[in-house]
Amino acid sequence: MALSQEVRDRIVREVFPKYPTKRAALMSALWLAQNEQGWLSSETFDEIAELLELHPTEVAAVASFYTMFNRRPLGKKLIEVCENPPCWVNGAAETKRRLCQRLGLHPDEAHGHEWLTTADGEFSVRSTECIAACDYAPAVQVNYRYYGPVRPEDVDAFLADMDRFFLEKEGSTPAYGAHEPRFREERA
Amino acid sequence: MAEQKPSETPRPGTPGPGAPAGSPPAPKTGPGQPVPWEPVLTAAFGRPSSHEIGDYLSRGGYEALRKALREMTPADVIKVVTDSKLVGRGGAGFPTGVKWSGTARNPAPRYLVVNADESEPGTFGNRYCMDADPHMLLEGMLICCYAVGIEQAYIYIRGENLRGYERLEQAIRQAYERGFLGRDILGKRGFNVDMAVTRGAGAYICGEETALMESLEGRRGQPRIRPPFPIDVGGGLFGRPTVVNNVETLMNVPHIILRGAEWFASVGNPGSPGPKVYCISGHVNQPGIYELPMGVTLRDLIFKYAGGMQRDQKVKAVSPGALACQLLTGDDLDVTMDTATLTRPPYFNKMGPVGFGAGGIIVYGDEVNMVDLMVQISGFFARESCGKCVPCREGTHWMLDMWRRIQAGRGTLEDLDVLEDVATRIGGRKTLCALGDFAAGPVWSAIQRFRPEFEAYIRQGARARERELVAAG
Repeated sequence: MALSQEVRDRIVREVFPKYPTKRAALMSALWLAQNEQGWLSSETFDEIAELLELHPTEVAAVASFYTMFNRRPLGKKLIEVCENPPCWVNGAAETKRRLCQRLGLHPDEAHGHEWLTTADGEFSVRSTECIAACDYAPAVQVNYRYYGPVRPEDVDAFLADMDRFFLEKEGSTPAYGAHEPRFREERA
Repeated sequence: MAEQKPSETPRPGTPGPGAPAGSPPAPKTGPGQPVPWEPVLTAAFGRPSSHEIGDYLSRGGYEALRKALREMTPADVIKVVTDSKLVGRGGAGFPTGVKWSGTARNPAPRYLVVNADESEPGTFGNRYCMDADPHMLLEGMLICCYAVGIEQAYIYIRGENLRGYERLEQAIRQAYERGFLGRDILGKRGFNVDMAVTRGAGAYICGEETALMESLEGRRGQPRIRPPFPIDVGGGLFGRPTVVNNVETLMNVPHIILRGAEWFASVGNPGSPGPKVYCISGHVNQPGIYELPMGVTLRDLIFKYAGGMQRDQKVKAVSPGALACQLLTGDDLDVTMDTATLTRPPYFNKMGPVGFGAGGIIVYGDEVNMVDLMVQISGFFARESCGKCVPCREGTHWMLDMWRRIQAGRGTLEDLDVLEDVATRIGGRKTLCALGDFAAGPVWSAIQRFRPEFEAYIRQGARARERELVAAG
């Protein structure tokens, strides 16, 4: 699938003027391409390389360094569960295990940052490193939007109604800073 | 173990965020400093339109820039920032004024790069700051550009923070519309600044300043050899002298310009003063961000602000500045949390400083099994090592494998000695960037401070392994 003229135009007209070299447009160009196509194919690397006057291998070398650039298609919703210590001590590993179980996936089949996709192509699930939402541990991102806390016992509710866990609702800034004592309430 | 309880002063009102306007200023301040304290950096948090330029202007926004342009020379600005004793909030704690003056001495063109990569587990203050008050960052950047003589600034934000990216793009658009960016800003002839935001794509290492610049230039995010340093010709972005500052560092600047260096230097611990957006997470009841004068004690952070420990656990271990710092124990609760304290003896040892990092405190209660925790910590650094330097690339995986072996019940007591040895061969400035030290510090410090627990675990290894085999069917 070739890049649309719109993406090519945006790379040339919006991104190039921001930087003194064409190469510096690479991160932005990869994002624009991935946002349009969902993932980055070798043909896309060729096209970007031509626009930026790079070798396709250089483009592939850069893209493969970054875990958010996808080299194969994924489901409509990418669910990422942070499993770093602040989330992990609050049950993130079990959250991910249950999430996979409910969606019919086998978490042991994925290593590192690999993802698993449901048969219907609806969801992909993977572990991610800290997403800077440790105050809502276990924190989850769905298509790079923040959700949380999704504790193991919340997994069913989360899959049924993700909006309840959404942390970026429009019209009201999220509860910043000193949060309501979630854990304490629970204990009572 | 020291008795763990909060100090006797009652828990003050929430420090700003979400608090209604005019709510009582809360906490008293750092050790023995009777300075009345109101949040500065997070004052607008919780208001629905705090990220809009109109809201920012209505509460005195961009007044510091006006003051700097009208009343101060670039040299005056640098002097005030230097006198304030502001040090970088990203982790390294380098004096901001020194960085600026060093860059200003080198030939133009120069660049400003804002490090908004915030990927360190346990840190999330920058994300809230950019989300709620992006114009405060932009104003700090503009003042830096004026002081150092910079016409192009870039913000490098981590890819996962899509909301922050959108907010910054919007803020920059608004600033152009109102004449705070572009040519002859605020009528000051020849003061021209352009800004752009670059999105990262999921690489912890890009929070390291030279790796960040590599990524900005369209390369794999791998650190560069220093010298030349970023402030020098050949060392910065596109080979030009470059100021690389953290988000929170720059957000302090407008307040220093308006209130003066003396005000800033009088807040909190005189050794490393100023307001600090503390992030606290882990086994605490109220994880979150708490803006306080630099130098609050760990005990107060946990028990006075973060609501104490979940299920009344005892504090077992603490990552004081974020995951990369050496681990402290429940005996260290009286340490003051600031750059000066946590980088000098007794918080400095053969592996370097314990470290204050970016102020992201992760608290682990006694429900945590230290072996499992170390698998998590070493796993993070093994996955995020960029692969450029051999000690880090190889060593992080060796450490992870050994922790996993111990976890599986197949470890030996000698493994602890080997782990300690491997850690000392990765840490202590043996790699181009600090990731090596980051990976080694927690391992080395854990073995110093929790050795009896590791030994007990290993001795029970056979039984533990048996249990796992049964559980695995």
